[in-house]
Amino acid sequence: MDALGPRFERFLAVVEPAREGRVVACEAITGGYSRISARARVQWRDGLEETFILRGDPPPGSGVFASDRDAEWELLSVLPTATPVSTPAVRWYDGSGEYLGSKAIVMDCAPARSLQDEMARAGDAGSLTDLFVDTFAAVHGTRLDRLPARMLRPPDWPAYLDGVLAHYDRMAQEYPSSAPVFRYVTWWARTHQPPPAPLGLVHGDCQPSNVLVGPSGPPLVIDWEFAHIGDPREDLGYYTQIPLEPNVYWVDPERFLRRYRAATGLTEEQVNPQTVDYFLIIGMTALLEQLLAAAAAIGAPERPGILAPYLINAISHQHDMFLAICDRLS
Amino acid sequence: MITRPTTDALIGDCCQELTDAILPALTDETLRLRLVMTETVLRNAAVRAAHEIAWMREETAALMAYAAEVAARHGSEPLHAAMAAVEAEPPESLHLADVTGRYERAGQAFEKALAAAQEAGAADLIAQARDLLRHRIATEKQVMASYVVVGR
Repeated sequence: MDALGPRFERFLAVVEPAREGRVVACEAITGGYSRISARARVQWRDGLEETFILRGDPPPGSGVFASDRDAEWELLSVLPTATPVSTPAVRWYDGSGEYLGSKAIVMDCAPARSLQDEMARAGDAGSLTDLFVDTFAAVHGTRLDRLPARMLRPPDWPAYLDGVLAHYDRMAQEYPSSAPVFRYVTWWARTHQPPPAPLGLVHGDCQPSNVLVGPSGPPLVIDWEFAHIGDPREDLGYYTQIPLEPNVYWVDPERFLRRYRAATGLTEEQVNPQTVDYFLIIGMTALLEQLLAAAAAIGAPERPGILAPYLINAISHQHDMFLAICDRLS
Repeated sequence: MITRPTTDALIGDCCQELTDAILPALTDETLRLRLVMTETVLRNAAVRAAHEIAWMREETAALMAYAAEVAARHGSEPLHAAMAAVEAEPPESLHLADVTGRYERAGQAFEKALAAAQEAGAADLIAQARDLLRHRIATEKQVMASYVVVGR
């Protein structure tokens, strides 16, 4: 049993003192680049067994992608009343890290598989593609008035877009090696703005790996750490660059987008391959900034770990994609 | 100085050791992933070690030629200052830190030049900048010895 097991057991004694939970198995879950996850099986005094997912921050100063665990906990807590999609049932939160070693959310482990795995296994992923599209269209229909007050609410679409492009300007100041690309791309993005669309909840890591499907019940959308209020087309753009096969957008972009338009009511002028391309640039801002910050931290006393140099390639890949988008849409 | 094996060959040999001898013996999945990532970083570093000084010097010259062309047509104080900052760096040194410093300054001058070209609406200069960026990214892609996402 991992050292996390005994810690989790002590945590359970605090949050569920009457149930006398015993951790009978605890193992790390590999995969994912941001949080540390583990799966733990717990046996309660009454004989009931339950399996939980523990999702915590990596140790301070390590890792590449940072996000706010308090904000994620708060969001996960309200999502069931705000969104039509199913989300992980959260149970407890070690908000100080006192018990689990770092701030960590404990949620039910769903008996489900990744939609990405299902797509890879399927000969024809058409119906799974529809499921994926419909699921994220539903995410984008989330009621914003029920989301946590701490989530930033841009006043309107133009202000939101201006804010994102201004963010790129600040990144250019901070990270000179990317500045020429950002200078070119933001100028292009300002002069080629697509038609506006209603702001909505953006998941921020839209990919089938973050949708779990089980033998029954609705799909479960996980990993909300980068969720924000923005232009939902960011999720579509973001997904186009996910390199895991199959990427069902690229199988048939027109079919994918037709389905999305039908589910959301957005027009073809608003959602088409060109606007999706455009919103790849917009949707990558926060993650790209974190990649650049991690690369800049290499060699510092608190090294961010091997993921930072490994993902320098991802920065180059983004540069390449951004310029290609400018070329295609010019 | 022992010139052969060259730096890239030495790094390549380490990569082979990691992949052939150490990776198969690792059973911990997290450690295996970290080793695969490490090997990728080393392979990229080998490509850089073999070429980066030449690449940076060549691109510095191209960036500065562009900046000079823009300055002649749409000169601005920030652009002239950025170009002067490049010249303040030791031009002949082949030490990596010096070459990198000069290259970064040239990148900043290029960015100022591009800003001036954009402000002036000079389509030909903007297109020229785009070609230089394309060239820069082509170099970055050569460094990406491989870009395979592992661990997701």
